[in-house]
Amino acid sequence: MSTARQVSVGATGAGGTQLVQAIAREWRLASNPVRFSVACLAFFYVLAAGSPVVAPYDPTYQYRAMPDCPPMAPHLSAPSRWSDGLVYFYPMRMADPVARRFAADRSRRVYLHFFHNGHLFTTAAGAPPCFLLGSDGLGRDLLSRIVYGARVSMSVGLIGVAISFSLGIVVGAFSGYVGGLADNLIMRWSEIEMSLPSFYFLLALAAIIPAGMSTVETFLMIVAIMSFISWAGLARVIRGMAASVRTRPYVEAARALGASRWRVLSRHVIPSVLGYAVVAATLSIPGFILGESALSLLGLGIQEPAASWGNLLAQAQDVQSLARYPWILIPGAFIFLAVMSFNFLGDHLRDRLDPANLRR
Amino acid sequence: MSYGFGTLTVPRLPPRADQAAATTAKTRATRRFALNARTACFGSVLLALLGLFAGGGCHVPRPANNHEHEQILYSATTSDPKTFNPVLVTDSASGDAIGNLFEGLVKLNPLTTLPEPDLAKSWEISDGGRVVIFHLRRHVRWFDGKPLTARDVIFTMRVIYDPRVPNSMRPILTIDGKPIAVSAPDDYTVRMTMPRTFAPLLYSVGFEILPEHLLAADYEAGRFNRVWGINTPPAKIVGMGPYRMTRYVPSQLVAFRRNGGYWMRGPKGEKLPRLRGQRLLIVQDQNADYLRFLSGQTDVYSPRPEEVLDLSERAAKLHITVRKIGIDTGSLFFAFNRNPRHYVHHGVTDPKLHWFTDLNFLRALAHLVDKRAIANLCFHGLAVPAVSDVSPANKVFHNPNLKDYDYDPALAAKILDAAGYRLVRPGVRVDPHGNRLEFNLTTNTGVKTRDEMCAIFQQDLANVGIKVNYRPLEFTTLVEKLDSTFDWDCVLIGFTGTVEPNNAANFLRSSGNLHIWDPDQPKPATPWEAEIDRLLDEGTAEMDPAKRAPYYWRIQQILHDQLPIIETVRQQEFQAWKDSLEDFRPTVWGLYRPEWIEFRPD
Repeated sequence: MSTARQVSVGATGAGGTQLVQAIAREWRLASNPVRFSVACLAFFYVLAAGSPVVAPYDPTYQYRAMPDCPPMAPHLSAPSRWSDGLVYFYPMRMADPVARRFAADRSRRVYLHFFHNGHLFTTAAGAPPCFLLGSDGLGRDLLSRIVYGARVSMSVGLIGVAISFSLGIVVGAFSGYVGGLADNLIMRWSEIEMSLPSFYFLLALAAIIPAGMSTVETFLMIVAIMSFISWAGLARVIRGMAASVRTRPYVEAARALGASRWRVLSRHVIPSVLGYAVVAATLSIPGFILGESALSLLGLGIQEPAASWGNLLAQAQDVQSLARYPWILIPGAFIFLAVMSFNFLGDHLRDRLDPANLRR
Repeated sequence: MSYGFGTLTVPRLPPRADQAAATTAKTRATRRFALNARTACFGSVLLALLGLFAGGGCHVPRPANNHEHEQILYSATTSDPKTFNPVLVTDSASGDAIGNLFEGLVKLNPLTTLPEPDLAKSWEISDGGRVVIFHLRRHVRWFDGKPLTARDVIFTMRVIYDPRVPNSMRPILTIDGKPIAVSAPDDYTVRMTMPRTFAPLLYSVGFEILPEHLLAADYEAGRFNRVWGINTPPAKIVGMGPYRMTRYVPSQLVAFRRNGGYWMRGPKGEKLPRLRGQRLLIVQDQNADYLRFLSGQTDVYSPRPEEVLDLSERAAKLHITVRKIGIDTGSLFFAFNRNPRHYVHHGVTDPKLHWFTDLNFLRALAHLVDKRAIANLCFHGLAVPAVSDVSPANKVFHNPNLKDYDYDPALAAKILDAAGYRLVRPGVRVDPHGNRLEFNLTTNTGVKTRDEMCAIFQQDLANVGIKVNYRPLEFTTLVEKLDSTFDWDCVLIGFTGTVEPNNAANFLRSSGNLHIWDPDQPKPATPWEAEIDRLLDEGTAEMDPAKRAPYYWRIQQILHDQLPIIETVRQQEFQAWKDSLEDFRPTVWGLYRPEWIEFRPD
């Protein structure tokens, strides 16, 4: 069980150098797809944490003269012009409002300023905006919206998993360890919850969220709803594992030594199911991300003008827009990468924590 | 792609430690399979995405069909009919389904916007406009061969005036709370006597006539509201119009066949209608409707602004005609709830009532509606700013002299400051009593244009420190809030327009149930609402259209000044149809001579 112990030591964060060594070893052991996934996730979390700095513009500001503007190509300036700026682009102007056709103004160069005005890069105030990934139907910068959307989409999984798994583990372990009538009641209740058609249940609950709630409140509400309908499955598995752990000699020994029920539960039962729970948690994060996008797609998730990858992708529902403005599909690529990364990472963790592999 | 919640549950049990050694090989195999399954799943997602791209591109397959040879016109609608009973119809899908089966005494000529003979071949107005005598067309027969007579007209009006039958015609045919007296001197003459001179009568008698010989028994037995529901076999729906219904398959289609005994004749005395039949397809949404038209499965389509360009560019290749037919006849506006029933609870008045009845506040908001941006962003430039609640498409009654509230955020902020709505910190404005300016905005879900319009309005209000919470609602929920619970603050809503301005009386009159900002008032709450009520009475008493117009101009002026509603923009309407259709003449008021339409013989 040596590797398992190291992993769990890493997870609990004891000892600085030991942690670094453990991470380095894990990185060496990981396959390339897993390394790529971890890099992706790290990148997304940096986007989420640093949104105000990373995003070049205010994600809700409407450049009303530039709806559905295509992505603009950055150009590297010649070394002689580096005093003006390193990177420039040609500003775009809407040539035809009916067709939403844009023409680049080749006579003019607008420079990107790095570390300017509190942004990683942006244009000078008053200068035409640079839409690296294009703009949406209201002339908002898609890149900035994706960066801010990362906050919602990347945290929905973490918060959701935190709620549903703490509930699932505690309830499951308690139920399995205690057994008897309590076990019976809890498991029947979880079965009732599992047999709810969850998506429709979610739709119904999302529909009754009052209009006056702020975006953050709505967001937390949605996450909470999603987690409260998803803890039951985990609780059942944990309960089974706890019930079997209960008869193990070391648990009986602890009990014989007079340990309290809570101590046995927290020191012996829950740690033995934690490895499985970590894997299951990682694999269920994509469900939350996709769940949020599904709700947003139906207009019941995060409300405009706030951005999430789901509600950004919702604009790509319309065949017309998709054909003419294909860049509105970019948020879909972000969802795709995030979901795939969590799945690869979860698979990898399962391999690493699988006792069958650890024996060797 | 289904975004279900299957993945939220735990995928599968890991092998228990004590069994692990024995099952290692098996587990590995399972895992490999699981990974493959997952990869395959991603593959299909990618394929689906690619498929979407391809679907949006130019290569829409056009299956060969022979609408031309069959002489059957295909069109589509996005919802199922709710009833086949013409008196009970309230939704457009039901109207589409039975519109071709029934006719009225008089119809509107969409080119001239004047009343034209239909089942009545002529009429005489006497007694200063108090009495109108209609002479019915002879030889009009119901589908079952019985002749249409004055008895049918009288029966229909009895049904309309019956308070047990919910219908939208009753308010239009009620004058000062009194019904119109109808009598039949003989089988082909109908005499209508009104309590006073009533100019809009000829525009109000387009209602569909019902067959007395088939429905009288059910009506007497009190079953009228249940007859001719959507479960009635189509052959039992007996009208006298150009088509009869032959088939209704819920959520799929309504089929019509030409009525061989239709009374109307063409220019050379030939039988009408020229088409052999029609099919009304019921599709899921407007995207589906559009794709059907692109693929040639339907023959006519009313494109949304964002589709107009695409269709025009491909018109030659698709063998279609796309034409601008004019400006929307309706009105799309932000309305503000000023209904005390919503705001006053236990003697405490919500401050919103004070804002929404404060002219300074409303004027500031009117200056914050960026109509140019709305036209460009939401309608692709294919819309014009709307100033009055009556569309310029209504040439007689539209008031052209109103001066629009220009988009001017600085002026709006100044008006608010002057009226005591202070900016306490950037982005937060409070009223004179220190309440934060914040209200809810809603509209119906699923309409992208409206979402965008609300987002623009929301942004402009946020810039001056007014917080708007936007949440669209399901249409039925919205209607319930508007007409029974009154639980709303601000709504973006559209009304359809009519040629006869008095047909909007339900909306204009303070006692009307569509008087959206404060419906069903026992007596007018404000002097200007009282004036509108009076102008409606006076306007209907004047027979000369030229002399009538000033009354309705004044009503538009009042609404423009008092701002219970703030107008936005009017869309330019387009119509697309197959080149092979002949005599297809769309107008914003409807098709001109639809009986003449036919496919050009090959």
